[in-house]
Amino acid sequence: MKKVISFFRSMKFGMILLVLVIVCSFAGSLIVQQREPMEYVNRYGAGAAEVILALGLDDVFSAPYFIVLMAALCVNLTLCSITRLTATRRAGERLRQQALSAPATRTLDDGQAQRLCAYFKRRRYRCEERDGQQLFVKNLAGFYGAFLVHLSFLLILIVGVAAVITAEVRDETVMPGDTLTLANGARVTVESFRIEDETGTLDYASQLTAVSSDGQRRAGKLVRVNEPLSFEGYKIYQQTYGTAGRLRIDRPSNGSSEIMTLTEPCFLTLNGRDGLFYQALYPGYVRGEDGSITLIASTSGAYTDPVYDILSVADGMTTPVLAFPGETLTIGEVSFTMLEPVSYPGLRIKRIHPAVLGALYAVFVLMVAALYICFFMPPVAVRVSKGGYAVVSPKTQTGLLLELETLLKEDN
Amino acid sequence: MEVLFFAALMAYFFAVILQIVGVAISREKMMRAARCVFAVALILHTAFTVWRGIAAARIPLANQFEFASGFAWAAAILGFVLFRKLRQEWLMTASMPVAFLVLSYAAFQPMEIKELMPALRSTWFALHIGAATFSYASFAIAGGLGVYYLVMLRKGHGEDDTRMRQTDYMTYRLICLGFLLLTVVILSGAIWAEQAWSTWWSWDPKETWALITWILYAIYLHQRMRMKWQGKRMALFAVIAVICVIFTFAGVNQLLPGLHSYAV
Repeated sequence: MKKVISFFRSMKFGMILLVLVIVCSFAGSLIVQQREPMEYVNRYGAGAAEVILALGLDDVFSAPYFIVLMAALCVNLTLCSITRLTATRRAGERLRQQALSAPATRTLDDGQAQRLCAYFKRRRYRCEERDGQQLFVKNLAGFYGAFLVHLSFLLILIVGVAAVITAEVRDETVMPGDTLTLANGARVTVESFRIEDETGTLDYASQLTAVSSDGQRRAGKLVRVNEPLSFEGYKIYQQTYGTAGRLRIDRPSNGSSEIMTLTEPCFLTLNGRDGLFYQALYPGYVRGEDGSITLIASTSGAYTDPVYDILSVADGMTTPVLAFPGETLTIGEVSFTMLEPVSYPGLRIKRIHPAVLGALYAVFVLMVAALYICFFMPPVAVRVSKGGYAVVSPKTQTGLLLELETLLKEDN
Repeated sequence: MEVLFFAALMAYFFAVILQIVGVAISREKMMRAARCVFAVALILHTAFTVWRGIAAARIPLANQFEFASGFAWAAAILGFVLFRKLRQEWLMTASMPVAFLVLSYAAFQPMEIKELMPALRSTWFALHIGAATFSYASFAIAGGLGVYYLVMLRKGHGEDDTRMRQTDYMTYRLICLGFLLLTVVILSGAIWAEQAWSTWWSWDPKETWALITWILYAIYLHQRMRMKWQGKRMALFAVIAVICVIFTFAGVNQLLPGLHSYAV
């Protein structure tokens, strides 16, 4: 059992795991992820696609072997952290003893010894008197650097997983003017949405208004990428967007009129036979010299010259029609008037428990601080006596030794 | 004002030539001249960066050209500061070519000033990208020192030679700095991604390769700190790892489109 634990906490095992994470990440970045099987066949050929799908390389980062790998890494980090903490507890005293018994680097005269003492005091080393010798110590917290780095990495993995598991996430497509209700009863209304701002620059911004369930609290914000709305623990993001066609349907026979918003193909009919089949909305078109129209398939901006691609179905005849906003098509007793399309946002409503969020930020800060302590605060103990001086540190002190030698040369 | 950029590039080029020739024939005067030219290049480069920032009305790190220019500037600054502190010639020998080569790469990128994309308009922009330039610069100079170490080794210098030990140690220290900054890049990027895309981590190619680079250097640090690997093996590791940095910086943008594609 001891051998097993020893292996699981060993650096060798940790390194093997890190190399395996690199291999998985390498595969996951080179092979497109989470696509339909047919796409792999088209991209890489039937044989390669079979291997990719069999090995789960189409979704590496959710594959069981990757999850096992991360779990093993957590085990390694936990055992390693415990071992480090145990080994670190009396490290400060050990370092002092080592400095006291270490052989002197060079002999010093009284003046040099005093200058060295002054140098260490200037550098804020803690001065201690031991066995008639001057002992200077600094950065003993540095012993905990590696432990804290490992601990913070472990905590990032754990809290990160907790943040993903405990988060409430909901995606909604909301038309301007519509309201959606959150789980706590608060209501969020999309007042307006724009793809471009007044100057024509791409903006993708939604004007949102949120009202608490009791109507006591209100918040309004122009939500765009990087600027979500925070309200009662929820964050509301401008996640996606789309443009939908709009038709006005008039029936002169009963005087009814209705406006419909169309986001996907549909057949609008009264009797099940005659009607209008809405196929798609195109953002623009180019008219050729001969009058022919070439449709623009997609755009990242606003629909400047929208074109409705529809089929008119009447008396068993299907006629393709390209219609523009303002045009009216009469089929049987119903008139369909194409209106200006409407752009709408896709919102993401997300809630993470504040404690989890706070813990995540805390471990991020801890990791950076721990790395700083680990790399830039090496524990050092220096013994200075008439017999000479000795520098002891678990890390190479090339820089300090260089400085000390320069200082002593200057003295000469 | 692009003339400032090309003047800086030329000055870096002459500095590199003077330094390499100076080192090859052991002429201190020539190396001093190289440092003077390098300082001029750095001043020109700084002036260009400031001008571009004013012209674009933002921090000039928004696309591949600007990032590469920032990367080269960070390498030059880092090289200069380290030289001023330690007075070791080999630091300049390693950092000068890095600054020149990265700026040469920038010269091949589209230079026009574009408006900042909505996704980049964030308070995290400066910290995330700024830390990345200095992180990459640290790794690149460490790679340069690795090359220098291997060349000196071939020339017959022993691993116990004082200068070789200092070079080895400085490579390690630069990797420590780069690693710390890369951690800042990854963590600030995660916070920013949550703000912008509602997700901390999406395994986007740029994120994945930043993680690969981070793990690679974590392996370096473990081998060095715990296994006491030093000298030739670590120099070789630093050189190989910098290839990964270059791929994360340039290769991913060109070959693996993803959420960070606006960086092209």
